[in-house]
Amino acid sequence: MTEQAIPARPPLWRNVRVLRVFGQIVFVLAVVYVLRELFLNMQFGFRRQGITLDFDFLQQRAGFDLSEGIAYGPNSSFWRAIRVGVINTIRVAVSGIVLASILGLLIGVGRLSTNWLVRNVARVYVEIFRNTPVLIQIIFWYVAVILPLRLVGEDGEERLFFLSNRGLAVPWLRGRPGAGSWVPWLLAGLVAAVAVWWWRTRVNERTGRPHHRAPLALLALAAVAAAGYLAAGGPFDIELPAIDRGAYAGGVKVSGEFAGVLFGLVFYTAAFIAEIIRGSILAVDKGQKEAAMAMGLTRFQQLRLVVLPQALRIAIPPINSQYLNLTKNSSLAAAIAFPDLVQVSQTVINQAGRPFQIIIIVMGTYLILSMIISVLMNVANRAVALRGTRR
Amino acid sequence: MKRDWGAREDVALEAVAAKEELAVTEAPSARDLTPAQWVKENLFSTPFNSVLSVVAGLLAGWLLYAVLRWAFGTADWTVVKTNFRLYMIGRFPIEEAWRIWMGLYYVVLLVGLTWGQAGRRLTWDAMHIVRRSVLAILGVLLLLYLVDSPLVWSLMGGLVAAYLAGVGVGRIGRGRTMRRIVWAGWLLAFPFVIVVLQIADGVGPLRWNGFLLNVLAGVVGIVLSFPIGIVLALGRRSSLPAVRTVCVALIEVVRGAPLFAWLLFGVFLLPFLLPPGVQLPQIIRVMIMFTVFSSAYVAEIVRGGLQGVHFGQYEAARAVGLSTTRMMALVILPQALRNTIPAMISHFISLFKDTSLLAVIGFIDMLRAARIASASVKFIGSSRQTLLFAALIFWIVAFSMSRWSQRLERRLGVGER
Amino acid sequence: MATEPIEQSTTATDEMIVAEGVKKWFGSFKALDGITTTIKRGEVVVVLGPSGSGKSTFIRCINRLERHDEGRIVVDGIEMTDDLRNIERIRSEIGMVFQSFNLFPHLRVIDNVTLAPRNVRRWPKAKSEEKAVQLLERVGIPEQAEKYPAQLSGGQQQRVAIARALAMEPDIMLFDEPTSALDPEMIKEVLDAMKELARSGMTMIVITHEIGFAKEVADRVLFFDSGLLVEENTPDAFFSDPQHDRTKLFLSQILA
Repeated sequence: MTEQAIPARPPLWRNVRVLRVFGQIVFVLAVVYVLRELFLNMQFGFRRQGITLDFDFLQQRAGFDLSEGIAYGPNSSFWRAIRVGVINTIRVAVSGIVLASILGLLIGVGRLSTNWLVRNVARVYVEIFRNTPVLIQIIFWYVAVILPLRLVGEDGEERLFFLSNRGLAVPWLRGRPGAGSWVPWLLAGLVAAVAVWWWRTRVNERTGRPHHRAPLALLALAAVAAAGYLAAGGPFDIELPAIDRGAYAGGVKVSGEFAGVLFGLVFYTAAFIAEIIRGSILAVDKGQKEAAMAMGLTRFQQLRLVVLPQALRIAIPPINSQYLNLTKNSSLAAAIAFPDLVQVSQTVINQAGRPFQIIIIVMGTYLILSMIISVLMNVANRAVALRGTRR
Repeated sequence: MKRDWGAREDVALEAVAAKEELAVTEAPSARDLTPAQWVKENLFSTPFNSVLSVVAGLLAGWLLYAVLRWAFGTADWTVVKTNFRLYMIGRFPIEEAWRIWMGLYYVVLLVGLTWGQAGRRLTWDAMHIVRRSVLAILGVLLLLYLVDSPLVWSLMGGLVAAYLAGVGVGRIGRGRTMRRIVWAGWLLAFPFVIVVLQIADGVGPLRWNGFLLNVLAGVVGIVLSFPIGIVLALGRRSSLPAVRTVCVALIEVVRGAPLFAWLLFGVFLLPFLLPPGVQLPQIIRVMIMFTVFSSAYVAEIVRGGLQGVHFGQYEAARAVGLSTTRMMALVILPQALRNTIPAMISHFISLFKDTSLLAVIGFIDMLRAARIASASVKFIGSSRQTLLFAALIFWIVAFSMSRWSQRLERRLGVGER
Repeated sequence: MATEPIEQSTTATDEMIVAEGVKKWFGSFKALDGITTTIKRGEVVVVLGPSGSGKSTFIRCINRLERHDEGRIVVDGIEMTDDLRNIERIRSEIGMVFQSFNLFPHLRVIDNVTLAPRNVRRWPKAKSEEKAVQLLERVGIPEQAEKYPAQLSGGQQQRVAIARALAMEPDIMLFDEPTSALDPEMIKEVLDAMKELARSGMTMIVITHEIGFAKEVADRVLFFDSGLLVEENTPDAFFSDPQHDRTKLFLSQILA
């Protein structure tokens, strides 16, 4: 190869750094152009139909009724209606996440049981619920299970729970007057629990005797709380739901629509959570279990000290995405006329005809909800993450 | 804030699930037990286990009894039988149904060819054969109940024949040309079906109903979102900050809102975003939204796969002089995509299940067909049957796809190579 | 100099690689602190140094796996700048072998070797496969052509990697600790392939801890520490009479 003149600076169109900057500028310009075109198209279309792009209409009277949620009447504003929708969505999402986690944990552990029957019942559950559309499940619970259930029974009849086309009612705590005097006792119990925890830890560190700090601390808390409960003269009791003139009285009740959505979401998501739990426990390296066994830890200790902490670390990110899925799937509530955010929005679009603004609100709300869940899960993740390792 | 939603973890977990499946099948077959020993070991090994067995047994037994008694005693399934065609093709005109059959024959023949051409020797053990036969018998029994028309029966017989013929031809004519024909056949499959449905005064998209609609919408979403998702994933991993930012924003915004909201976007807002004068039929807009939604998820799955490719592969590809495009196409993506197979299939399964959302935005898909069937005066109060039947069909498709994915995964040895 | 004159037509320059004051930072960490050296055509240079000394960064700058921040790198008369064409030309003149082999696991051995010739050089399939078989014979594993990398031993994989790098007919070969990931019994087969290559007149830069290889084959030894080229000398002088304290310390550690 012959020697050649070495250009001090390469020409611009071959300069890698220039090309990188230039390419990005072109890319951004193209994106901006497309977005601008879309926006102009939309503005044009809306103007032709006399629709404005401001948010003033939210103050107008909505003029439709919502079956459920915070105080709302036909004279309330669109804004109020949307708030009702947001709160209903959050109610479904939060209760769904809690129940799906519990059920999913049970089934996930069941999947790993040494008991053949339990293992296979759990497996059949997972295969059925995970491979069927959640929308069909929600509609099925509502249309085929809850709606045909009539409320039967006499006035004043109390039961552990009621499920009928009137909704679902479950027992709840009822406070008596003066229930507040129990709170200091509860705080004292917490302090006692922390103290016991600290004491047992110290004992364990000094003498090496087993600390049993969790059960002992719980015992301390329970003892003080129970003492306070008696001292306060029984501040709470459990209230069973009852029938009162063809409706429910007492306990906590939700509408049939709410129950339908909840059942659908919980049974569906629990199947996925169960699989995650099972997968995470199995994913912990076999060598870890063997090392724990070699150290002479008991089966329970292996699980508690070695396997579970690592499994939790593996499980949290996918469980987070299941929580997000559940929250997003709660929008399917609209299919059975439960007034969640999407259902209300649909009505508002039909009434007020401002699809752009409403869809912005809907997307924004879900983004915020997703972020809140992710932030919470990240906190949990950090708490269990292995220190010193990069993910 | 670290936003690590989904994809990557899904990939890892699926890979794990595959490995451990083997462990589970290994464990019980390790020793030969007498039935009594087996029962003792698996059901009554400890007092706690015994209690569990009794409780679970009673619960499962009662549920099974109640369901079976209802399904074969109380329930009247004529509503499903009467509306079977509604389920499958909705209001698709019956005199044009040959178009669907033609598409079906095409696909079934291709499946046969592919299978024969792959030429894998069947290594089924007795258990496998028994299970297959039971499934086949159940399927035939179900069809026996549902289908009366001799024409449909002979057409279905023809399908089986076409499949077997495909296997035969594929097996004999193995080789390069055959492989190319099969590939071309698959590439043309979707256009072929669409053309056959519409050509020569055919049937417009408005009357593609029922299960047909679910399948078409699902296939469109899958086929189109796959390449778009790959491009988005590459964009998200780009070294150019501007490209990365735009891709991240797009992916996260799309994933942030529910599919249902995006479908409403397609119905209410998309018409306004198009240039004035351009009008797309509702079904096309909805399919666009399915594609957009799915692309964001595919992008995250592919990103997970890309993260699994060792950086040494990039360096080696650069060092031998490959350009970025070739490096991606020849070295990185083939490895990344192989790692994503399980996650990709489970995403496609959930996309297929999500096509049931078509029912809530005014299309007559299979779920809607079920609702229509039970709405008629004649069959009032039959929603349980109609909904369960729709669920059953979704379930069959989703379950067999996930089974197939597990087998594929084992065969490709994901994570081993 | 140990090597024979090479059959290639002599050019205006015998200086294959010229580095002048090459500097490289990773964030605030200074990986290279002004490296100046010249490597002649056909020369075999062994680079020694503790880990983190910048030796690996240096050879990665030569084929632009890393971009140097300051100074000049000229490869066979072409300066490594931001010029796209120069980068492509230089890369196709340099072959590289990695510590962890980095074979493409989804491709058979033969396809690993033919990938670059077919897609970069645009050779026809037959020609590139012929060449590949030739190269696999040269590194002693012609019978493995149809296998996948995962089916080979580490030593075999590394020899495939050498064949893959040679397939582009490079003028220069870079070796980044090619034997460090190998079991002891496989090191020899890889070193033999490298020795054969050195004898054929290839210009080579080799990062390695194999002192025997350095003594036997190298024309020159470079010693890096903390981003600096501390000492360079012929192997004999380098190992028998190190000049710097840091060199002495290092040698006492690895020879102990």
